[in-house]
Amino acid sequence: MIELLATRWAYAAFILLMVTGIYMMIANANLVKKVIGLNLFQSAVFLFFIASAYVVDGSVPIVHSEGGGGPYVSPLPHVIVLTAIVVGVSLTAVALALIVRIYGEYGTLDEAVLREVSDD
Amino acid sequence: MEYVAYALVIFVILTGIATALLRDVLAAIIVFAAYSLGMALLYTLLLAPDVGLTEAVIGAGVTTILLLLTIVKTVRPGGERTFERLDPRAALACGALAVVFGLTLPDLPAVGDPNSPILSYDAVTGHYLTQSYAETGVENTVTAVLAAYRGFDTFGEATVVFAAGVAVLVVLRREVFT
Repeated sequence: MIELLATRWAYAAFILLMVTGIYMMIANANLVKKVIGLNLFQSAVFLFFIASAYVVDGSVPIVHSEGGGGPYVSPLPHVIVLTAIVVGVSLTAVALALIVRIYGEYGTLDEAVLREVSDD
Repeated sequence: MEYVAYALVIFVILTGIATALLRDVLAAIIVFAAYSLGMALLYTLLLAPDVGLTEAVIGAGVTTILLLLTIVKTVRPGGERTFERLDPRAALACGALAVVFGLTLPDLPAVGDPNSPILSYDAVTGHYLTQSYAETGVENTVTAVLAAYRGFDTFGEATVVFAAGVAVLVVLRREVFT
């Protein structure tokens, strides 16, 4: 068990942080905290990608003109994570703008109160 | 390297859980910014400096500013209790999910294992690593893939950012289309 955690620590951290993010999205009543949970979930998945690209005693994939060197970490997960971070912040911006509008309409950000108000 | 990584992992897990449990939204945002910074350091330690920089600027910077602007414009609940009440049903569901994912843990390759399938450097990754300087003139392979080989992806990403900007303006009624 300890050996498993020692060698696969990044994946274990990914699982813990991912379920923390999902828990925030389910259980926290405040809409802003749900969005924070979504961001937490996201960066946990990024950790999974980055950890899977890592290699012990490797180097950053900056290859000089004469070539050689290495072993390098895999550059492809880095690229997809860079794209995903920017898409994630766009998503967060739209979600928060919707939250500002919801507050303008209903005067609350509490999920249970919102459900009551919208049922009336 | 290992002990720094373990310390950082414990830091991000603690700040992540604190973010979930703190009831005051401002406190949660501040702790979440600390979490993002720890995550950026962790990415850098795992030899992804480009991702670390982006996470530090966008995760710890832009996202925090957006969240702070939101609570300035809306409301900041809190007061009577420091921590949220634990929702037992949600905690049970999330615990079950963690167990299901945890069962896959022994089958994953160890972190940094040179024999893991993703590091086998097949035709695609190997080609990028050996040919990117000759073909694009960029030494950083991540930049070469992002801006040259998969420039179309990055163009799509710019489209997403533009669409999000338009959506924010429309939702906040700053712009009226007639």
